Amino acid sequence: MPTARPCMRLFVALAALVLLATASVGAAEDQNRSSEAEKQLLALLRSDAPAAEKAIACKKLAIYGSSAAVVDLAKLLPDPQLSSWARIALEVIPGKASGDALREATDSLEGNLLVGTINSIGVRRDARAVTLLAARLQDTDPEVASAAAVALGRIGNTAATNSLRKALAIVPFNVRSAVAEGCVLCAERMHSEGKSALAVEIYDQIRKADLPKQRILEATRGAILARGQAGIPLLVELLRSPDKKLFQLALGTAREFPGDEIDKALAAELDSASPDRAALIVLAMADRPETVVLPAVLIAAAQGPKKVRLVAISTLGRVGDASCLSTLLDAAVDTDSDLSQTASRALADLAGEKVDAQIVALLPTAKSESYPLLIELVGQRRIEAVPALLVALDHSDQTVRSAALIALGETASLDHLPVLISQVVSSKYPDDAPVAQQALRAASIRMPDREACASELAMALERSPVETKSALLEILSDVGGARALQTLSVAAKSNAPELQDTASRLLGKWNNVDAAPILLDLAETAPQPKYQVRALRGYIGLVRKFAMPEPQRDAMCRKAFDTARQTAEQKLVLDVLKIHPSREGLRLAIDAAQIPELKEEASQAVLVIARKLSEKGVDVNELLSRSGLEEVKLEIIKPD
Amino acid sequence: MSKKALSKKKTELHRRRFLKSSLSATGAAVMAPMVIPGSALGLDGAVAPSERIVVGGIGIGNRGTYDLGCFLKQPDVQFVAVCDVKKSRRVAVKKIADDKYGNQNCEMYRDFRELLDRSDIDAVLIATGPNWHATAAMTAAKAGKDMYCEKPVTKNISQSLILAETMRRTGRIFQAGTQRRNLPHFAFACELARTGKLGPLQKVFAHPAGMQAMMSGWLPGEPEPNKEVVDWDMYLGPAAWRPFNAKLLDGFNFEKGGGLVGGGVLEWGSHCVDLCQWAVGDCPPPVEYNAPKDGQLVARYENGTELIFRETGWIPLGSCPVRFEGETGWVEAGDSGKLVLSSPALLAGRTVAEIGGYPATFHVRDFLDCVKTRGVPKGNAEAACNAHIACHAANIALSLGRQVNYDCEKHEFINDEQANRLRSEALREPWRI
Repeated sequence: MPTARPCMRLFVALAALVLLATASVGAAEDQNRSSEAEKQLLALLRSDAPAAEKAIACKKLAIYGSSAAVVDLAKLLPDPQLSSWARIALEVIPGKASGDALREATDSLEGNLLVGTINSIGVRRDARAVTLLAARLQDTDPEVASAAAVALGRIGNTAATNSLRKALAIVPFNVRSAVAEGCVLCAERMHSEGKSALAVEIYDQIRKADLPKQRILEATRGAILARGQAGIPLLVELLRSPDKKLFQLALGTAREFPGDEIDKALAAELDSASPDRAALIVLAMADRPETVVLPAVLIAAAQGPKKVRLVAISTLGRVGDASCLSTLLDAAVDTDSDLSQTASRALADLAGEKVDAQIVALLPTAKSESYPLLIELVGQRRIEAVPALLVALDHSDQTVRSAALIALGETASLDHLPVLISQVVSSKYPDDAPVAQQALRAASIRMPDREACASELAMALERSPVETKSALLEILSDVGGARALQTLSVAAKSNAPELQDTASRLLGKWNNVDAAPILLDLAETAPQPKYQVRALRGYIGLVRKFAMPEPQRDAMCRKAFDTARQTAEQKLVLDVLKIHPSREGLRLAIDAAQIPELKEEASQAVLVIARKLSEKGVDVNELLSRSGLEEVKLEIIKPD
Repeated sequence: MSKKALSKKKTELHRRRFLKSSLSATGAAVMAPMVIPGSALGLDGAVAPSERIVVGGIGIGNRGTYDLGCFLKQPDVQFVAVCDVKKSRRVAVKKIADDKYGNQNCEMYRDFRELLDRSDIDAVLIATGPNWHATAAMTAAKAGKDMYCEKPVTKNISQSLILAETMRRTGRIFQAGTQRRNLPHFAFACELARTGKLGPLQKVFAHPAGMQAMMSGWLPGEPEPNKEVVDWDMYLGPAAWRPFNAKLLDGFNFEKGGGLVGGGVLEWGSHCVDLCQWAVGDCPPPVEYNAPKDGQLVARYENGTELIFRETGWIPLGSCPVRFEGETGWVEAGDSGKLVLSSPALLAGRTVAEIGGYPATFHVRDFLDCVKTRGVPKGNAEAACNAHIACHAANIALSLGRQVNYDCEKHEFINDEQANRLRSEALREPWRI
């Protein structure tokens, strides 16, 4: 994992490398400056400069080099160390000279250097090289012959294609794979240029050859796509093939096949395919959402092998519409838990406002087994159906009531918050209380106006029994904001020990510095010493965790230190000072070092802070000299 | 199973499910990716050998070991081979695998082509240094392997395009190691942007933190170790030759992008720019890249949305922070796992804690599911290609110190020969893609 370091400086450094030769200027001046750069770089290449410098010069010539640089670059092609550096430039310098140089070099090079040069000819798609490359297909070095084959494929014109097709039948097996690769490249080019019949011919020739399986697969894919709609029978043939690789190829190719006839073909295969394969075909169908044959997926979801049903049901959640609701609802109450759970998830995902409307319409007449499910869907889909949910709150079945509460938690607006509050504070069914609290929390934390929400909760607090007050305080803490903070503050100073405990705990883990004044006040005035300590620790936690201006942190540290009645909390302040070093912090640590019980920790803090400040270039000598501490040597170790 | 383990499983399932349907219940217009019931993939019990995905590892260092851990947790994975140019890594990874399976079956290779020759291996984990990613991935694809490939995936624009073409042509499953696409809070943020919940998108911000070096260059030569200990030639692979120097053995300190381009932006950009690309619907990359100014580089998509590579004004959400701004709202996310939103209403009733963050195993699972179904993983080659092109083009603008304009149809810079020459770089012999 790299370190997160500002990158723009690097960018500037990089730019400087490039701009060594040419400052960033308008296009009109670029040519002159490139010319000048090229001259300097060529002079370097012609000199006795070390190979390292010549290598970098080659790279720069990739930008600034012209035909004038080709001769010097070509001289490096036989050099095992610099050959590839030279080709970096030769591959991209436009014009006839570079191509000529690369072709000429093939006369004298051999082995890897020849292979590399041929590769570069292929990258340049040099049509003038077809004859020499075609001859190289017969090279005794299979690596050379293979490189020539792929280069011909990249060139891909008629002559290159013909030479490759001819070679396919006669080259040794260890070269044939590369020749086939070249043929596939040629066929692709033909197809893209509208010569599909020729492409099909090439693909079919490859499919019949004795080749590694992967080449056959590539040609078969091409043969299907190049045939257009006439390729569907071949694709279907693969779907029925006992060969797993061919079947897999069909699944992939079906996903990229144009038109909607292929969707019908896929659907038609579902009945005859094995369950394992049918499940995979359904998935391929689902990856064509615009044209998927939904009725076929619906049938697969409703009946047949479980494996296929599971996939089909899941698929409907993704590509289905309102027409799938009935099938999914049936599956969602299936006795098989895998099916019912998958269907429930699909129902939650099924897109469309029509689906929402149908779910709401089904609520009044729902049977007992599907009623809770429909209510759950109202919540999961965030359907506005509060009146129907309120009706369900009075249902005799606790499962229904729980579902309604949870759905209300997901959908209720601020106007409906009192309903949920009353379910918490004075529910008709005491057993519903935990779910009601969960629902109230879910509703509260998503209210856009959290102050208004906190006001409702605070008012409810006043009329709640003690055992409910703590639950409401917890929710207020989750809601956050000024009103919640104030309410917790009051609770922390109340006469009820339980509320003191809950409120001080929640304030101690408040997630922003707004709680600081309240915590500092509690640190001195909380009804019990243990809550004073808790408040002070919460206060110190805020100073430690949150970003704030340095003077503010310094002041808070000083207050915390002065308020602390025990060394344990003072040591916590010293820890904060070490994490956030500042001059004022150093002063405080120096002061702390005068307290005998803190001398050791404070002295260590002084050293840490001083070292960190020194690294930032802050002069700490004067402060340290006044500290009364023994003289120490500060060793600054720079990070890598 | 312990209660704690059950609880963890439930949480992971919840988050995984969330990846599928984070917004669909609120009527999102686009479809969420599929999560296939585990039982339909044979994951609900012991997986028969014939149904297992046989995996090999190529270049398994620190990051690769983390990835490997994610693979080994999957019940349908059988990890059988490791290739590394460093003997110490080969031995270490073999021990991890053998300890996991209680046997001595993990085979070790120095040359990854030998590993790819094994017909029993279905998929490979490629976690070499970035220099090798694209070449190894395309070699693996041509050998008929699916692959999970660490990022940055490519060294230049040309490689990005050829990578996507090769994966299409070979029909292989490719998952870039852009695991944040399968982290629920990032997915949620991107989905908010993509589905119009923020209003028409105006700006997407990426924070590609810098790399230690753009170019390692040609350090003084040192005695080359025995090939069995460190195979320097294979380590260099497609990178231009230079003498052995132990300092170059750290993949992250190795030359990227041909030295002049492909460094700083790519290291983190392949994550955070990739997320921005996802937020804009994985559309083609920006067409305009301006010179850096005031600590940021502004790029512009064809529809006018700005992609801002920003160094200053770092969002305090951990590494890899992103921000998406629409006309009516904004969202920020980062590796801290937190989300910050312009309005709580955007959470659609959920809590940030509910949306959650790591682990990254979801990304590996997504890959493995696609190996079986032949579906399209989140970090697919097409998406990776577009995100990487955006990063490479930004690097080129930075390198040249001026604006460059990119034609996404022709995949070339408009009337800009210098920029066009930086789209590709020759590979060292005998490597090709």
